[in-house]
Amino acid sequence: MNALTVLAADTPGEFGAPTPESLFVFEPIIPGVAWFTKPVLLAILSSVIVLGFCWAAFAKPKIVPRGVQNVAEYGYMFVRDQVARPFLGKDADRWMGLLLTMFFLVLVWNLMGVVPFIQFPVASHIAFPVVLAVTIYILKVYLGVKHQGAIGYFKNMMFPPGLPKPIYFLLAPIEFLSNMIIAPFTHAVRLFANMFAGHMLLAFFSMVGFWFLFEKLTPLGAPIGVLGVVMTIVFTGFEMFIQFLQAFLFAMLAAMYIGGALHAEH
Amino acid sequence: MSEEKKRRPEDDGQDFANAAWSIPSYLLSGMAIYGGAGWLLDRWLGTSALFPIGVVVGVALAVYLVYRKYGR
Repeated sequence: MNALTVLAADTPGEFGAPTPESLFVFEPIIPGVAWFTKPVLLAILSSVIVLGFCWAAFAKPKIVPRGVQNVAEYGYMFVRDQVARPFLGKDADRWMGLLLTMFFLVLVWNLMGVVPFIQFPVASHIAFPVVLAVTIYILKVYLGVKHQGAIGYFKNMMFPPGLPKPIYFLLAPIEFLSNMIIAPFTHAVRLFANMFAGHMLLAFFSMVGFWFLFEKLTPLGAPIGVLGVVMTIVFTGFEMFIQFLQAFLFAMLAAMYIGGALHAEH
Repeated sequence: MSEEKKRRPEDDGQDFANAAWSIPSYLLSGMAIYGGAGWLLDRWLGTSALFPIGVVVGVALAVYLVYRKYGR
């Protein structure tokens, strides 16, 4: 695979750090079908993986779990105990389907970033996290209106009890902006930005290693190349941690928004 | 938070997480709303001091809101 040499071709003979254009803009896989690029293919693949994984694990559940079911039940317990129950309480089980799917899907999306030869975190294209965040946002507003009433929902959100009366009209805009605009925005951007930056870092370090050890091997450059390889390995480990963390946070915030819509803050 | 309600152990964690995730959002909102209002007033009145004042007032209000909601 010679993709890295192509990326470096900015100034021939000189090291050039990978640019966002070279890392995140893809040619269509099938010529003429503009929307069908590598990230789209990976997103579809991720859905199939999550489907297959859950099917293999939960289609014929055993009382004593073995193999795939065991792994999947660890995931289930993690999402239930760390994501759903703290925010949804007794409603947790009803929302496990959504939260578990979302957690697994985002996790697989992110892990695509470190799978050899695939190496592209799907969520580093902002459209993908935006779709999930918008879904949760619509769900949040729908549930809020359904459970607290249209007026009650916005009243509970913008006028939380326990504040002195005159201050409300100063604070209500802050509450509104924070809950209705900034919250869904950061929900998507947090995942996107982490994956984007992580991918850039990994590409940069592996590029350094590749360039100074294979393209232009010189006595002075070799240690830098070795450093690049070491940093690539270290950051791959770190990146896997971040990928897991971001999947967890994404599901956790989803649970938090759903929980907030079901029950007014009191 | 009504104190007479029986508190479960997970409530504390939930409150903490709610606060931790809401505070930056509130601070940003405060700055945006009142900084934005100040900026608009600046444009309208031809002054230049209201934008920074608005930002500071916004942060102060947001901090107050956070303090009243989560601080006690």
